[in-house]
Amino acid sequence: MRVNPNFSPDILQDLYQAQSQEQTALEQLASGKLINMPSDNPAGAAELVQNQALQDQTDQYLQNTSAVEGQLQTADSTLSSVVDSLNQAISLGTQGANGTNSPEDLQAIAQQVQGIQDQMVQLANTSYQGNYIFAGTDTNTVPFTLDSSAPDGVTYNGNTDINTVQIAQGNSVQTNLPGSQVFQGSGGDVFGALQQLITALQSGNSTNIGTATTQLGTALNYLSQQRVFYGNVVDQLNSNQTFLQQEQVSLESEANSVDGANLAQASTNLSQAQTTQSAALAALAKVIPQNLLQYLQ
Amino acid sequence: MGTLNTAMWIAAQALDVDQGALNVTSNNIANASTPGYSREVVDLTEQTPVESGNLTVGMGVNLQQIQSVRSQVLSLLIEEQTTQQSGSQTQLNGLQQVESLFSDPTQGVGANLTAFFNSISQLSTDPSNPAQRQSVITAAQNLVSSFNQDAQSLGTIQQSLNQSVSQSVSQINSLSQQIAQINGQVGQMQQLGKDPGTLLDQENQLINQLSQLTNVNEIQTENGLTLTTGNGTALVVGNQSYSLQLGNGPTGMQDVFSQGQDITTTIQGGSLGGAIQVRDQDIPGILNQLNTLAGQFATSFNAAQAQGFDLNGNPGQALFAFNASGAASSLSLTTMDPDAIAASSDGTAGSNGNIVNLMAVESQPLPSGQTPTDSYANIVAQSGNLASQAQANLTASTASVNQLNDQLGAISGVSINEETTNLLTYQNAFAAAARVVTTVDQMTTAVLDMGSGVTAVS
Repeated sequence: MRVNPNFSPDILQDLYQAQSQEQTALEQLASGKLINMPSDNPAGAAELVQNQALQDQTDQYLQNTSAVEGQLQTADSTLSSVVDSLNQAISLGTQGANGTNSPEDLQAIAQQVQGIQDQMVQLANTSYQGNYIFAGTDTNTVPFTLDSSAPDGVTYNGNTDINTVQIAQGNSVQTNLPGSQVFQGSGGDVFGALQQLITALQSGNSTNIGTATTQLGTALNYLSQQRVFYGNVVDQLNSNQTFLQQEQVSLESEANSVDGANLAQASTNLSQAQTTQSAALAALAKVIPQNLLQYLQ
Repeated sequence: MGTLNTAMWIAAQALDVDQGALNVTSNNIANASTPGYSREVVDLTEQTPVESGNLTVGMGVNLQQIQSVRSQVLSLLIEEQTTQQSGSQTQLNGLQQVESLFSDPTQGVGANLTAFFNSISQLSTDPSNPAQRQSVITAAQNLVSSFNQDAQSLGTIQQSLNQSVSQSVSQINSLSQQIAQINGQVGQMQQLGKDPGTLLDQENQLINQLSQLTNVNEIQTENGLTLTTGNGTALVVGNQSYSLQLGNGPTGMQDVFSQGQDITTTIQGGSLGGAIQVRDQDIPGILNQLNTLAGQFATSFNAAQAQGFDLNGNPGQALFAFNASGAASSLSLTTMDPDAIAASSDGTAGSNGNIVNLMAVESQPLPSGQTPTDSYANIVAQSGNLASQAQANLTASTASVNQLNDQLGAISGVSINEETTNLLTYQNAFAAAARVVTTVDQMTTAVLDMGSGVTAVS
């Protein structure tokens, strides 16, 4: 049977193939990636785009989490100071209601409670990074101003809106409570009770002082309930942070399973390609000079 | 009865024939590495014998003809596969440039889409913060320019393919001319019953080059070959060639015309077909998806903007603008003002209530049925699929071409071993015939000496 006498194209083809395998293995070793071009694995490349988006989103959720955490912690510690001040006001009210005080004493106590009222307004006007945290969403407006003509002794200038921030896929947290709800809620009006206590102390009516003190106690309870909201959200943020960090790890390992080159495999491929190549070269070197003419000298 | 003269004549004839055969062998050896060369064999026949009484006396050898050994079927198959091979190669070259635009998942439209939405998500933590608002505008700008760049790069690849279409067409025309010229001569020789060997080799080589450019149909006729494009319009008929023309197509690209007819869409295979495929189908397909994504994203985001209020409490205005004829390339920002982001749902600067609507554009399907990121991932997969398909076709057709070339080589290739054997055979035959001449010469001398009384040569 006659065979193609010119076999060098075949051997050259084998050489090219070995070279391209060598190149692929080298590329994988150098980049550590299986997918260097979408055509290496089109579906995998698409998966990587989606995975990258998820990773970036997770990073962002983590940033959101720590960004709102600061604001919530500020609110929480502010309310803690509010509770302290209220307790102080309640003990002053209790002292004023015991019937043994002279009118001068009561005036002095009234002044002390007024000082607490000032302090409370300041606390309710706390800002975080330039934004008033108890103004609803109207964060550029000072939420509470003293106003002796108002029944509560203060005017609320904010609104009743809330903000939410997304902290994970399908998971958002409310990041604020409007000041009107915290300090002037229907379940306990802190500023109203304070103003009543001041009025009662100034008028010297111990029954009214007692009633106002009791109301102040109710307002304190209500405020403490509101404060729980901030604590809960901070807890939620902390556990979310752990979740997101785990998510990051699992997303990365997912990407790696699609894209990560098996270095041991790649180096084996590399040496295999090199072996093939030297074998083909050796064959080419042996075979080319071999023909009948050599035996005819 | 034979005569000494006849013997001498037969031997002289044999010497001629052996020399002729040696020439063929020598020519084969000389052309052993010539591309496209088909080995030649000598066709030796007996001379017509002479009747002499009741004897039939052989009259020696005759070199009937010198014949090229070729396989028309294999040649045709090789041309066909060559067309596929070179078409796939051209496609692959173009598509590799296309897929490289989409090769890095940490860059480009996909990454910039996520970065844009992340900047908005960040803004939700402090909606009136000017630095964070500026980040949103910057991210939007990056997104816009990555859409613009991808569209522009695709256009550039298209333009360079367009140039290679023009080049291929002029190469095809020049090859058709050369083939027609040779074809005329081949036809003449075939009509005279001669083997047009060398000319056919040349013609086959040229047709092979033509097959690398486009698919051609080959029809053998009495007047030689007729070559047509895949569409059936003539390229070469006999010694006449018909050139292809270029003209502006509907998309502003060069279309290919044959005798006034636009045959662009019917051209398949070859570097011309490959370039047209990528230029007119593959790239527009990807560009189309990119345009759909850019347009639908911009429209959805603008609609979400309109649901809210900007930093100054005014109703949200469109942030993106684009031209429907090419959304990706024309996408732009309507404003660079960071205040314009409509984060607020109640008109106050501190509200982030509309951000949920802005962010919904990222997580909700666009009218195309997919989220923006998924649409982009689709484009990436599409670019990879096209390139890997071209790669697979190239590998398959290359293997096929190699195998067919092997088969053709087994028939038409020059084997040095075989030619050396022939060389020795003809050399021996020549020596033997020469010896016959010497012998007959001696016998003739003996005959001439018969009358001179000198004894015969021992």
